[in-house]
Amino acid sequence: MKFQGGAAGTVSVQSLRTVSTTAALTRRPDYVDFDIVTIDAAEDPAQVAAALRQRPDVEWAQPAYYLHTNLVPNDPDYKSLQWNLPLIDVEKAWDIQPAAGSSITVAVIDTGLAYTNATITANIFGFRGRLGTYPAIPNAVIPYSAATQLITPGRVVAPHDFVLDTNMPLDFDGHGTHVSGTIGQLTNDGIGVAGVAFNVKLMPLKALCSEWDVLFGTPVSRCSTDDNVAQAIRYAADNGAKIINMSIGRDTAPNCATNRNQPDCAPAIEDAMNYAVGKGVFIAIAAGNEFNEGNPTQTPAEIASRIQGAVSVAAVGVFKEHASYSSSGSWVELAAPGGIGGREDAGYVWQQTFDFRFTDTFELPPAQYERPRFDMLRSVGYAGTSQATPHVAGVAALLMQQGVTSPAAIEAALEKFAVDLGATGKDELFGYGLIDARNSLFGLGLAK
Amino acid sequence: MALIAAAPVSAQAGSHWYNAPADVPAIALRPFVDISTEAFTAVKTFNAVFGERTAPFWGGGLQVVLWRGRVYADLGASRLLKKNGELVGERAFVNEGVAYELGIPLRSTIKSLELVGGYRFNVTPRVIPYVGAGFGNYHYTEESDFAAPAENLDVEHGGYIFQAGAELRAHRWIGVAGDAHFTRVPGILGVSGVSQQFATDLSVGSRAREKDLGGWAVRLKVVVGR
Repeated sequence: MKFQGGAAGTVSVQSLRTVSTTAALTRRPDYVDFDIVTIDAAEDPAQVAAALRQRPDVEWAQPAYYLHTNLVPNDPDYKSLQWNLPLIDVEKAWDIQPAAGSSITVAVIDTGLAYTNATITANIFGFRGRLGTYPAIPNAVIPYSAATQLITPGRVVAPHDFVLDTNMPLDFDGHGTHVSGTIGQLTNDGIGVAGVAFNVKLMPLKALCSEWDVLFGTPVSRCSTDDNVAQAIRYAADNGAKIINMSIGRDTAPNCATNRNQPDCAPAIEDAMNYAVGKGVFIAIAAGNEFNEGNPTQTPAEIASRIQGAVSVAAVGVFKEHASYSSSGSWVELAAPGGIGGREDAGYVWQQTFDFRFTDTFELPPAQYERPRFDMLRSVGYAGTSQATPHVAGVAALLMQQGVTSPAAIEAALEKFAVDLGATGKDELFGYGLIDARNSLFGLGLAK
Repeated sequence: MALIAAAPVSAQAGSHWYNAPADVPAIALRPFVDISTEAFTAVKTFNAVFGERTAPFWGGGLQVVLWRGRVYADLGASRLLKKNGELVGERAFVNEGVAYELGIPLRSTIKSLELVGGYRFNVTPRVIPYVGAGFGNYHYTEESDFAAPAENLDVEHGGYIFQAGAELRAHRWIGVAGDAHFTRVPGILGVSGVSQQFATDLSVGSRAREKDLGGWAVRLKVVVGR
């Protein structure tokens, strides 16, 4: 509070006693022109301050409110495009865990990652497309750039391509790069958008092919197979990853839980997941986008529901509504922002990846078709459970940095502190609910 | 020749249960101070947040002794004997009976105001065992870093007490007592927080204990007065 004239004195102390019998002036701090009044803890500081303000000898009085940091990134597109991060209270989570996963490695099993600059020379096969016949392009020189908002020196750990069995898991689709961006895009650097656990190390593991992988000559038989994924999971666990993100899936039989030795089940992936969780790795898996396509059971999402330490993730939109494409079932465990699509920016999750106008030239008429370019990057909006899942992986990385290292405990924490949506309790659309990053990190007190 | 053994003067006094000096008043007011170590009943809860289940307390009050030393009533207050009167721990999370600390500082205070009445037994003039029972008011606060105001706690609840011990009359005016002091304080733990998780976790045995802020204390008390 501040007295009229700026100085506390005998008259001022008398003022205090008329509004609070326990009020006492403390020694005036250096470099200030106000006084600090202490009152008994049982008194209401707001009431005392309000009473003091009525005194003619008091210029102003206020309670000593508590301030807290609240990291709002300065990335210019954060506020306009990234509804998804405030939806799960990531800003307050960053206050608690500002290291944002610096000691955690997240493996992303996907289409690869734009993690290095390169110039690729490829013989592009001809093909018949939707709009006609597209010619082969021999000796195509294709520029390739690392995602500038994702890659810093030393950030990428043990990259591997399980499709071609090399150590160069280049992303020729953009999906893997986009997913990695939600997990760890550089944040608060005045550029683009933000990521959840923006200091994690990334382990890109390519197990899936894109159209360009096939057009560059990769045999389809090597693409996107269960054994690729199973190998990648085990590799991640053996090479120091503590979190695995799998924004991937396929249809499966509905009763693999009781008999996995039947068509469409995925025993190789299931065993690999159990192996990884047993080594302390938490796994986040997309629940699938097949709600409107008959809503078949999805794997490996269904497997996750049977393993404590692996979770399947459904998608919600900006109003926490169920995304219409998001698969449902008893095996859905959590929900996270995935976007609902449509015309609005808020229907998508925005991260830096390839500008598809330069990569998806096979969508153009044959006369306009040309080699792709993978050196043009921009913030692109995607929607899907693929986009929801890396939110969970990112929050899991924050939790792990906080000291919760057991995958089963991370799953339990995320489920316990999730915001219940839909029907009360666990349900088939949202599982236990929308993840809450801040409350998962804040935990519980003794009695509150 | 006859031997005449006169009975001690005190045996002929009005109160016969012990050989109280004649100048022991019928009613005595005796201030006291005490120090104790308490082992909390909510073992898992305290271990999860503070890493230990015991804590030191200090306090004092006034004892009224009636009926020439036979009946007593204590009114005492106590608080934690810790820096700032606080226990400092970490916020945590419980999964299947295992607690995981989250590194966020949490500070708790426990203050009590207790009224106990009891009976003092005739053993010897210098050693006086006693037993008592009563009730108290317990004030618990809890605050954490990063907490919104509504996430901190400031709550009071009643509880009850049993105690048993003995007083050594070290001096005409000084007594030193040691006793075991049991409290049961419902209504604060077990409603929310880690205590509620333990109290409802089926993998935890003796879940009901996690709802009790009381416990067993061993207390040393110095009393001034006759």
